[in-house]
Amino acid sequence: TISSNHWILAWAGLEINTLAVLPLISKSHHPRAVEAATKYFLVQAAASALLLFSSMTNAWHTGQWDITQLTNSTSSLILTSAIAMKLGLAPFHFWFPEVLQGSPLITGLLLSTAMKFPPITLLYMTSSSLNPTLLTIMAILSTALGGWMGLNQTQIRKTLAFSSISHLGWMAIIITYYPKLALLNFYLYTLITTAVFLTLNTTKVLKLSTLMTAWTKTPALTAILMMTLLSLAGLPPLTGFLPKWLIIQELTKQEMAPAATIISLFSLLSLFFYLRLAYCSTITLPPHTTNHMKLWHTN
Amino acid sequence: MALAVMLLNGASFHGGCCRHKVLLSLLGPLLSNSKLYSSYRRPGAEPEKKLSWQNADFSFKKGIDHLKTQLNLLKKEAQEYLQGPGGHPVSQCFLEQTRVLWQFRSQEDLNKWVLSSDVEIGGKSKVYIKLGRNNQAALLYGTLNTDVPRDGETKYSGYCSMRSRPAVGSFNRKKYYDWSNFNSLYLRVRGDGRPWMVNIYTDPYFSHQKDDLYSYFMFTRGGPYWEEIKIPFSKFFLSSRGRVQDNQHPVWLDKASFLTLGFTIGDKVDGPFQLEIDFIGLLNDRAHREEFAYEPYDKNTPV
Repeated sequence: TISSNHWILAWAGLEINTLAVLPLISKSHHPRAVEAATKYFLVQAAASALLLFSSMTNAWHTGQWDITQLTNSTSSLILTSAIAMKLGLAPFHFWFPEVLQGSPLITGLLLSTAMKFPPITLLYMTSSSLNPTLLTIMAILSTALGGWMGLNQTQIRKTLAFSSISHLGWMAIIITYYPKLALLNFYLYTLITTAVFLTLNTTKVLKLSTLMTAWTKTPALTAILMMTLLSLAGLPPLTGFLPKWLIIQELTKQEMAPAATIISLFSLLSLFFYLRLAYCSTITLPPHTTNHMKLWHTN
Repeated sequence: MALAVMLLNGASFHGGCCRHKVLLSLLGPLLSNSKLYSSYRRPGAEPEKKLSWQNADFSFKKGIDHLKTQLNLLKKEAQEYLQGPGGHPVSQCFLEQTRVLWQFRSQEDLNKWVLSSDVEIGGKSKVYIKLGRNNQAALLYGTLNTDVPRDGETKYSGYCSMRSRPAVGSFNRKKYYDWSNFNSLYLRVRGDGRPWMVNIYTDPYFSHQKDDLYSYFMFTRGGPYWEEIKIPFSKFFLSSRGRVQDNQHPVWLDKASFLTLGFTIGDKVDGPFQLEIDFIGLLNDRAHREEFAYEPYDKNTPV
């Protein structure tokens, strides 16, 4: 999808992506994993169909299938909603936490990072013809919902899903004005999220109460996990602050200061649950307890 | 609305005599008492005297009251959401090691449970529930009768069970339990020596799995002393429609909706049974290290 210029190839790439990841989600054959795979398939297939429909409408009106030449306004609207479904932008985000909760941690990492890359590339390539108002509304809604719904979660995979939705909001708001910034945000988000997921995979932590006792196994790793989570939250002087700062700067330059303020305020909600994760992993020291046999390792 | 009800009632009265009227032919399915596929009635079922839509109460005032109760429930849910996950503060989620789910201290607590027995299929077992002495426990008692109902298709009979009603939120939405902090079920019971089966039904996403039940056994002592029985969730095995499945998996309790817990007795012995239950709770047994008791090895190893 990333290297294609023709809509049909891009759509084919997205479909191959969906089908390839489905066995990874349902690897354990637990009903919950199968449920997650089914939900993922249905949403992604619907989004791919919408994408194909938008490219066909564009080809009907303009006579060409070039991705960068999406000039028909209806097509760009349909494309925006299709990509929003693919990414998990609000209001099409409902599938994302459930799918992440049902899949293993590494597959969750893939879903949050690698599977978002093709849709973001498509947005990047068509950024000049997208509707900024729609994207701004979706972005603010994503940050708000990602923040609010992540607040009461005890399962870490669902929390990370909401953090992903929140970050996608930041990417979506800037994509029409400065697309390279959205890509930068995505790369940094991928890097930091990969670190978080891999740390959680090493310590086999799936819920908050297990996270509290992870420091007994790998004290150094949990200390770094705190820094990584605060970086995801966007606190200076950590790396995660850089894309937020540049996005706010660019939005202010584009006379969108109220939007910048609103999106920053909603990010405070997600800061709360990042802080809670950091608090559980590193800042408090519960008594020595072990909950799961698999968590012991002797290296 | 009242006019429609009167019209239907009038039509059903006239249905017996004037069959050639067009209105009657249109209202045919509403007036006939037969089920859509078959009119076979199981031996234990009562004959239906009222048509199914006549059971609905169309009064306006009742609707408004119902709406008010549901809105109050919604308000309470919103307030609980503000407090933290599951209505409790987050610190409770981190620190809790026990939680009482159901206890039997009043008639209201008894109303949260539903009794059933093989009377549904035409058997003769009896089951009753009442509050025990000093309102400190629930007494589930009755008589098990393994006489098979003579309807030509039933081979076994003789079971009684008690199931909890699933929790519903406002507007009859499913409520999700998060039991992931716990790994055992804790029961304080006083039985009569008969073995019971504890069943957990987690409402699954797919309708194919609606008969899936996670079960385990509870052996009671029968003495005058109370027993505290701990059943780890790793021991529950999966069965569907009563048959133990080959592909076993542990029960996931992080998002169990419409969850019902049930106690069944079906040990093929005729006679009376009694079970007193003080409370049912959850326990995070720190000494229990098992993830899943059945087939923990990898089945699809590469050749």
